[in-house]
Amino acid sequence: MPFDKDLAEFDRRKALALAMGSPKRLAERKAAGILNARERVAKLLDAESFHEAGLFASSIRPEMRDKSPSDGMICGFGKIGGRLVGVNSADFTVLGSSSAEVHGKKQGHVRALATKNGFPIVNLMECAGGRIPDIMGAGGIGMSGERAVYRNPRTVPWISAVLGLTYGGGAFTCINSDFVVMRKGAVLAVSSQMVTSVAIGEEEDPQALGGWRHHSELTGLIDALAETDEEAIEACQKFLSYMPDHAGALPPCAPVPAGSGEGAAKLLDLVPESRAKVYDVRSVMKAVFDKDSVFPLKERFAKVAVTALARLGGRVVGVVASNPMFKGGALDPDACDKIASFIVLCDSYNIPLIFLADTPGFLVGAESEKKRLPAKIMTFMSALEQATVPKIALVLRKSYGQAYLNMGGGKADVTASWFSGDISFMDPAVAVNVVFAVKQDQDPERFASLVKQVSEGTTAYELAAPFLAHSVIDPRETRAYLTAMLEILARRPSGALSERRLANWPHGF
Amino acid sequence: MPIQIVKTEITGKVWKIEAVPGAALSEDQPILILESMKMEIPVPAPLDCTVVEILVAEGDSVTEGDPVARIEI
Repeated sequence: MPFDKDLAEFDRRKALALAMGSPKRLAERKAAGILNARERVAKLLDAESFHEAGLFASSIRPEMRDKSPSDGMICGFGKIGGRLVGVNSADFTVLGSSSAEVHGKKQGHVRALATKNGFPIVNLMECAGGRIPDIMGAGGIGMSGERAVYRNPRTVPWISAVLGLTYGGGAFTCINSDFVVMRKGAVLAVSSQMVTSVAIGEEEDPQALGGWRHHSELTGLIDALAETDEEAIEACQKFLSYMPDHAGALPPCAPVPAGSGEGAAKLLDLVPESRAKVYDVRSVMKAVFDKDSVFPLKERFAKVAVTALARLGGRVVGVVASNPMFKGGALDPDACDKIASFIVLCDSYNIPLIFLADTPGFLVGAESEKKRLPAKIMTFMSALEQATVPKIALVLRKSYGQAYLNMGGGKADVTASWFSGDISFMDPAVAVNVVFAVKQDQDPERFASLVKQVSEGTTAYELAAPFLAHSVIDPRETRAYLTAMLEILARRPSGALSERRLANWPHGF
Repeated sequence: MPIQIVKTEITGKVWKIEAVPGAALSEDQPILILESMKMEIPVPAPLDCTVVEILVAEGDSVTEGDPVARIEI
């Protein structure tokens, strides 16, 4: 056979590269139910669609060439549901998928082709940090500065999964992504406990340093959680289903599932009439948007605000809602960060925004002020004012003070209110205390009379009379109303594409 | 199983204790309800858990960060 020798050598090299790192480490992962880098790619992509780049790449250090198959990063291109994506899948069994020259160059190649040709990137990450000794010394760190890319201009969606110990460059790639899902048990941090214990004498459990509870509850640096690798990869696929291929396109529409909107009739039962009672706004969202389409981001962080991708009549929308179930829906500094970051995401990828407000205002007080509440409110507002995608604001019940404006009141293309709307500078009962200096326990009769008097000026109709609300609606009409407004706003001659004024907003907030 | 202290996230008065020691709660289910900002606001379970001890009584005033319950997760 011609090329006998070449074919044998090709097959030998290919088998070595495909074998990845040590068989012992691969077996340990399998026993723990953790997929290896190539199994993850296979799970992510349509069958037979993967075209690998850099199978025969290896460490730039000659003495390490045989010990670094693919230099610890499986890269290439493939399809998810027929849509082209670039993939970088970290192989922790090869030198901990540590950051190094060729390892970074391969990821850069995928990024460059995806950006230039307009398709999303999926990063399946694990990373031991900078590779030693490659990164040591002035030359090592200097070289990494020339190689590394730290800017994601939101030209194409970057989707990342944290699937193991992920430090240094791997962590930074995830932070710069538009969506991050974390598998429980994985860690996302700047440095491992081996470094922190020596550098600052801090012996910390890796989970406390950067585990799933740390990031889903305290930092908000991840968008979703998964129990397994498989679930994490499915979350990446799901997020992609709401995203356009690139920032110059609209997100894909989907057929409207049967049963969508059936819950609308129950809206009057879901929301208590008394404004002293709370409810979970997620039940309202479920009733209004297409069946099973609500996909919350950062759900366990700053729960007073819900930020979710969803579909309405098949079109992708971004929903921002205050949630009275938590802190009464009073928006705190973390909620401001969460909402600002969500507005940036939606505006950068041409996703219309819908605001659902039921909030007593921003959570004022010493703790919030220490967390820079005034700046957080203005950051949120700045993102809102610069966003150029269609915006719809709807007041459900109460919406007081600056929070009314931040939730799109008067700022959106369309402002509307349920007939139960209650809009003012502050809660009428608080206003009576502040304006008239009358307290309920001192003079209950006069207090009640003044609350009634103040409340008369706060109804939805008081907002509609000077045409500050464009419509007052029955809650049961919400789905139909939002669908109609969305159709109007999406007709703009630009094709409903955003002006992308927020595209360079930093990802880490 | 690890024990966790649940703290209030807002200042208010304990209006109603909803869960008793031994109760199994799902994430976001109320442990107790505070009266704050003229509303009845739940202190929810942060995760699926079992209530070990309620550390406050109805009528108590609490400020943000005060421990109100011990749970087992």
